[in-house]
Amino acid sequence: MSGAVFEPPLRNPKDIFISDQDCRSFMTNVILQARNLRKEFGGLVAVDDVSLDVAPGTVHSIIGPNGAGKTTLFNLLTGQYKPTRGQVFFKGQDITHVALHRRAHLGMGRSFQITNIFPNLTVLENVRLAAQALNRSQFNFFRRADSFKDLVTRAYEVIELVGLRELALSPATVLPHGGKRKLELAILLVADPELLLLDEPTAGMASEQVPELIKTIDTIRQKGNKTVILVEHNMNVVMNISHRITVMNLGKLLAEGSPAEISADKTVQNVYLGGLYGDAIEGTRHE
Amino acid sequence: MPVSWRRTLQSNWFHVLVLLFLVMFPHLVGWITGDSPLGVGGRPRGQSVFWQLIFIELFIFAILAMSYNLMFGFTGVISFGHALFFGMGGYILGLVLEKTGAASEVGLAAGVIIGIVVCGVLGLIIGVVSLRLRGVYFAIFTLAVAEMFAIYIGRWPVTNAEDGFVLSNLPAFLNPARDRLTYYYLVLILMIFTFLFIRRLINSPTGSVLLAIRENESRAQSIGYNTLIFKLLSITLAGMIAAGAGMLQVILTKKVGPEILTVSFTVDPLLMTIIGGVGTFSGPVIGASVLHLSERIFNREFIIGSMSINIGQNWSLILGIAFILVVMVFPQGIVGTWAKWRAGKKTTLE
Ligand SMILES: Nc1ncnc2c1ncn2[C@@H]1O[C@H](COP(=O)(O)OP(=O)(O)O)[C@@H](O)[C@H]1O
Ligand SMILES: [Mg+2]
Repeated sequence: MSGAVFEPPLRNPKDIFISDQDCRSFMTNVILQARNLRKEFGGLVAVDDVSLDVAPGTVHSIIGPNGAGKTTLFNLLTGQYKPTRGQVFFKGQDITHVALHRRAHLGMGRSFQITNIFPNLTVLENVRLAAQALNRSQFNFFRRADSFKDLVTRAYEVIELVGLRELALSPATVLPHGGKRKLELAILLVADPELLLLDEPTAGMASEQVPELIKTIDTIRQKGNKTVILVEHNMNVVMNISHRITVMNLGKLLAEGSPAEISADKTVQNVYLGGLYGDAIEGTRHE
Repeated sequence: MPVSWRRTLQSNWFHVLVLLFLVMFPHLVGWITGDSPLGVGGRPRGQSVFWQLIFIELFIFAILAMSYNLMFGFTGVISFGHALFFGMGGYILGLVLEKTGAASEVGLAAGVIIGIVVCGVLGLIIGVVSLRLRGVYFAIFTLAVAEMFAIYIGRWPVTNAEDGFVLSNLPAFLNPARDRLTYYYLVLILMIFTFLFIRRLINSPTGSVLLAIRENESRAQSIGYNTLIFKLLSITLAGMIAAGAGMLQVILTKKVGPEILTVSFTVDPLLMTIIGGVGTFSGPVIGASVLHLSERIFNREFIIGSMSINIGQNWSLILGIAFILVVMVFPQGIVGTWAKWRAGKKTTLE
């Protein structure tokens, strides 16, 4: 079922291991690297031989129309899916088979395209749990959880930062959609990960709120010297904050470059302006 | 009285009242009926002693239901094999007491410790083998394992197959047939201990992870928790507590037989937990009270004038209908519905 017949000869995995791109990753500074990732669902190839180098301290965006394979690629990077082929490296370490929960301890934090919180726990408890996850106190079952004041304080700081202070003691499920997206961000930030992986963090948000959230993300990156991998289907959203953009289409890597290069790229324009994916440019959303 | 004490009392007034009632209960029945809580005519007879038996059974069910709720209500793990731990606890205590030739006190202590440890290990093994299965597959697996044990032990000659065996080597102080009042207080204390233990656990950092797993396991993993470890902890602890309940049961009946391994010791705590309130502290206790008391009171023949209504014949049917009604109308059970109602009232008042 592989698309090998249509692949250019250079994309053969054997060649890739000695390719320029591969050598470069050893010399330059790369925090996250994907090598020849492929993911098949039954007969469908959702991600087809995608390689990626992410430089530390940058915002690296992955864009493409709906169904391009962005979320699948994202889940391969975060470990939610095991690749059919290929590897993922984090700070030089092969993490392809590292358990999900270990990745958080390595300094990788992820958000979800679909809001993914602890619905019946309070906002505070959602965030406190994320702070506690990297702390030894999780194995204490004699003291009260809220007696670990440093975790509670830390949780409150981040809740304040994302602007949910008033709702801290409400169950997460009663938050409006935008509030849930903010909570999602707070859960991610409280662990202070080096690498933030965000899958359409603005999904379903009112469009006037989008620039604010994007700005918050960039501020967080600059202040904490973090790396951000940002998945978006709307290319306009990421143009201003990205250092590098990878464009996907039909599971394949279509183009990669600086925002200027990408917006000048003919093939990218074809994909986005082909009419079919007009929504991705207009900013209207169909989630 | 120190302020902190008063605050504890104030926030637990309901529990304190219930506790006082349960402590006084044998004596209350004694005063009302005139039958001494210690028995009548030097024998364990009379109304007070009769009601003590019913309440001891209730406490044992409450302990079993609380252990089930730890897994099901607080961790979100659905098991259909809980009877395995209840039954194995009883069997191991019985085996150590009767088949090793140990003196009764030594046999009791050893039986309790070995039974609880073995059931903990059993829970751990079942968890390691099967907890990677999701939801209903895990439930089916646990059911299969429990039924396998029930069938095998029901045929095992060492324990007299389906006939079981009698406990005759119990220490004198632990003979509910003679001194039921002591046993009543012992089981009551153990029930309170279980309640406090589970409450403390759930309010701890470890307990907060269990709740997180119940709410959203994959998210708990992605923020860095090794959820398997915590689920194993939950199922192991639940298995150990259930084993303790099984031991209390065989001491009460002075008999060990395959009936303690039957699926009804899974279904009953499940129903009690749901009726009382899944994932609440007192829900399982209240569910156990409602179910057990109503069964004891209504599960018999009533004669009204010349009419005789035998509810006993239709008991399972009535229970089934009641259960369906509860699940449909009050899915949060008695305690959950009550808490919601009170929270609603508070916010409208303020
Ligand atoms: N779990 C899955 N099982 C089967 N097919 C999937 C699964 N996840 C995604 N796909 C398919 O893979 C393709 C890429 O999907 P996705 O990665 O979600 O795209 P994007 O995030 O770019 O919109 C789609 O055709 C989608 O239907
Ligand atoms: Mg997607």
